Amino acid sequence: MSWETVIGLEIHVQLSTKSKLFSGGSTEFGAESNTHVDLIDMGLPGVLPVANKEAFYKAIRFGLATGAKINQESSFDRKNYFYPDLPKGYQITQMTKPIVEKGSIKIATDESEKVINITRAHLEEDAGKSIHDLFEGKTGVDLNRAGTPLLEIVSEPEISNAKEAVAYFKAIRQLVTFLDICDGNMAQGSMRCDVNVSIRKSGDKKLGTRAELKNINSFKFIEKAINYEIDRQIRVIESGESVVQETRLYDSEKNETRSMRSKEEANDYRYFPCPDLLPVVISDKELKDIKNNLPELPEEKENRYISEIGLEESEAKIISSSKTMANMFEEASSKTDDAKLIAKWLVGDISALLNKDNIDIEESNLTPENFGKLIKRISDNTISGKIAKSVLEEIWESGSDVDEIIKTKGLVQIQDESILEEIAMKIVESNPDQVAAYKSGKDKLFGFFVGQVMKETGGKANPKSVNEILKKLLK
Amino acid sequence: MDKKTVTTISYLSRLRIDKEKEEKIVQDLDNIIEFVDQLNDADTSDVEPLTNPLEKTAKTRSDQITAKNLKKELLEIAPSSNDDYFLVPRVVE
Amino acid sequence: MTIKYKTIKEIKNMISQKEISNKEIIKEVFDQIQENEHLNAFITLNKEAALKKSEDLDNNPIDLPLAGIPIAQKDLFCTKGLRTTCGSRILNNFIPPYSATVIENLENAGCISIGKTNMDEFAMGSSNETSFFGNVENPWGKNLVPGGSSGGSAAAVSAGIVPAASATDTGGSIRQPASLCGITGLKPTYGRISRWGMIAFASSLDQAGPMARTAEDCALLLNQMCSHDKKDTTSLDDAIPNFEENLNQPLKDKKIGIVKDLDLSSLDNEVVKVYEDSLKEFEALGASLIDISLPNLSLSVPTYYVVAPAECSSNLSRFDGVKFGRRSEDPKDLEELYIKSRSEGFGDEVKRRILIGSYVLSAGYYDAYYKKAQQVRRLIKNDFDKAFSNIDVIMTPTTRGPAFEMGSKGNDPIQMYLEDLFTISANLAGLPAISIPNGNIDNKPTGIQIIGNFLDESSILNFAHMFQTSTNWHKYTPEGVKE
Repeated sequence: MSWETVIGLEIHVQLSTKSKLFSGGSTEFGAESNTHVDLIDMGLPGVLPVANKEAFYKAIRFGLATGAKINQESSFDRKNYFYPDLPKGYQITQMTKPIVEKGSIKIATDESEKVINITRAHLEEDAGKSIHDLFEGKTGVDLNRAGTPLLEIVSEPEISNAKEAVAYFKAIRQLVTFLDICDGNMAQGSMRCDVNVSIRKSGDKKLGTRAELKNINSFKFIEKAINYEIDRQIRVIESGESVVQETRLYDSEKNETRSMRSKEEANDYRYFPCPDLLPVVISDKELKDIKNNLPELPEEKENRYISEIGLEESEAKIISSSKTMANMFEEASSKTDDAKLIAKWLVGDISALLNKDNIDIEESNLTPENFGKLIKRISDNTISGKIAKSVLEEIWESGSDVDEIIKTKGLVQIQDESILEEIAMKIVESNPDQVAAYKSGKDKLFGFFVGQVMKETGGKANPKSVNEILKKLLK
Repeated sequence: MDKKTVTTISYLSRLRIDKEKEEKIVQDLDNIIEFVDQLNDADTSDVEPLTNPLEKTAKTRSDQITAKNLKKELLEIAPSSNDDYFLVPRVVE
Repeated sequence: MTIKYKTIKEIKNMISQKEISNKEIIKEVFDQIQENEHLNAFITLNKEAALKKSEDLDNNPIDLPLAGIPIAQKDLFCTKGLRTTCGSRILNNFIPPYSATVIENLENAGCISIGKTNMDEFAMGSSNETSFFGNVENPWGKNLVPGGSSGGSAAAVSAGIVPAASATDTGGSIRQPASLCGITGLKPTYGRISRWGMIAFASSLDQAGPMARTAEDCALLLNQMCSHDKKDTTSLDDAIPNFEENLNQPLKDKKIGIVKDLDLSSLDNEVVKVYEDSLKEFEALGASLIDISLPNLSLSVPTYYVVAPAECSSNLSRFDGVKFGRRSEDPKDLEELYIKSRSEGFGDEVKRRILIGSYVLSAGYYDAYYKKAQQVRRLIKNDFDKAFSNIDVIMTPTTRGPAFEMGSKGNDPIQMYLEDLFTISANLAGLPAISIPNGNIDNKPTGIQIIGNFLDESSILNFAHMFQTSTNWHKYTPEGVKE
């Protein structure tokens, strides 16, 4: 029997506002526990929420960038349930009138490109954090995160496999970081996702019963969790049983999902309009201002890099794929005239170093200024490309200034042809056999002589000059 | 309203009804629901619900941090806390 | 010199004439509290701070509108550093780290908060019998209820302990006890007074207001209680008039709406007679009576008993024994912590309303109850809007009868709910309304309710004040008529 998978994602994106959705508490990550808790975040008796307009603006940016409908009047509802890190006993969210509806985003996997429709994106408040393993027999509650604005982005169930799900998540991450509405930091939980998975017989129209996988926060785990869950559901159905609609937790250590049935018991959230909050209205002018100030998006960047700067398509794609990469490219380019060379280095050596260290360019020691300078020193022949590599490695380690490195290590390229000629002559004289072989037609040996000269000069010889001199001497 | 419904809504509300009061409470709730069933007398087709008497739109705030660090005060009023956290019995996920 | 049964206006005068010092006033208040301990009107006293403030005022007199006026605060308002219980066991030891805006406004105007008054638990009740801290006795008679939920505030004013008290009104909690205790109580337009720091019962209905001996005093208090508060987005931006200005407008050519759909047949004959006499008095003052129709008025009580429990079931979820308030002893796990803390912490009436609220919001019942009720609520509001197009105020009795005996309605929630028959609709529509004393049946006071149009507190205060200039009902005290 062949099975078809249907996946929908609910991605929670922490919006990068300074203060919380309904209070003046700070949203800073990593602060000492319970130091960013306002009276409102604590849910004290008698406190009232006041909505942060900036969160709406950020949500609207997302809506505009996904071609969605913006509800200029949106409202808040309460979702009622008890949990220690939910201080009021309800979460304020947008159930009936979300700020954003009906958008879409393009995703690409190795195999194909596809458009995934976005059902809705609504504002809601984050919960605090429960810490289960720090105290004997106790759970500790830290409310610093409580009230942080989230944009919950709900996709249509149009994703067909784990790879597409990852591609979708990546596309959303790329978009929200380019829009500057979220820092995209998965390790800090700035983006988290719930995955709805169901299977059905190929060709069936009706959706199968779905399981919801909760709170997965890495690309790797999304893929693994989905694949595990698909296999599990197939096993369940093929053994003659049926899939239960439930919430399941992915255990990354065991690579399995397990039922959280306890959480599901009498799961009735009793949504109703929040009587403390009147509908929020965005004026035409506000909407227009947001539209006019929308930052350039990846696709637009890619096209501009190709048509205006003349990058290769593959280079443009890689550079525009992440906000930090694109920033590095654009800022470093502004320091030199050689944007193409910048691009080559970014896509080549720098990407290799990033991959090796598994870090983002923002986390490296490379600044756009220093990078621009490095390229400039190549173009003005101060150093060779090869020396530049070692300078880059030094920057990677220490973050030192390019000119400092060149100066202290004496890496300035030898331009004086008479010095180079003298060295080349010495090499030719001390290698008669190779000279003979070369002259008899072994052209490949030319590289040997170049290498020897380079070795002798510590790599500082201008390769172009060395070539010319050697060609003359070996004629 | 039957006992099972009362059990469900009691759980949703995290309330326990004493055995000796159960019958009376079920009866009270039933009477109240019957009483509010009068609402069915009104024709409300095409009537927009009124959730707040102010038919206005909300005032909002600008994105500014105004809160102070209240950690000590807030942990102090908690029924159980240590120097850093509010404490509850261990939750098993 | 005594301030017993004196109005704010009179006390202000006494202070400015130096007939009494601020400290003497506050000392007398606490003596009176002790003398009236049987009323059980207070939950927590603020004696030391109050005395200190009065001494400061004596030493450094400040020219503030209500300087030195003692006021009793309903224990539903958060008061920084002073225990705030909302009449509930679950907040038995709750000391708020902040104060309600209305408390700050009153204190900034010079009022001295002398303590926190008893009330029905979380303001859910009409007789003050649901308080964890015990019944409040109506100063007009042993075993009589003072009404609720602001029973302690009403009793404290009625007994002449203080000239003023703060209170809140979700379905009649200011007007009904004011009526039963023979004082004046005003519920302003929804949004006039900030709800910041008011412990929420039903957020779309709750409104704070003053209780005092006269409409004029209510105007003085209201002037200070209202503000535009950024912390409450339902706090109105509309201009706040000087509520004293309009008090003495002649009532000639003013129109009083009389609700013809109102069935008064279930009321005591005497109550109806008192009410009709009052209407004649208003006519004598120059106003005319106009029949109006509020066809959906009879549905206001059922509407209220869906909307208010729904909101309360959610508002009271924060009382879970986790971050503040009372936690049950040694819960074995989180579920037990929640269930025991809440079951032990809340009384029966609060539980009943939470359960009703959870029910009407639950899957499958939302449309039939909650949504339906909010639709009927709009119909009720539309009725009012239409009626107010050609009248100035609407009048009804405040209650179905004078104060009743404790325990006499305790067993049947619906009988108790019907206590609020006349008052609830103003909350549903957000309209201002006042209750003033208008008679006396068997030495028990009665009240008449005057409902105003949206934001038109000035008109109801004007009608109330004019009535009080030509009648003496507001001067009746449990100890006889004040001269």
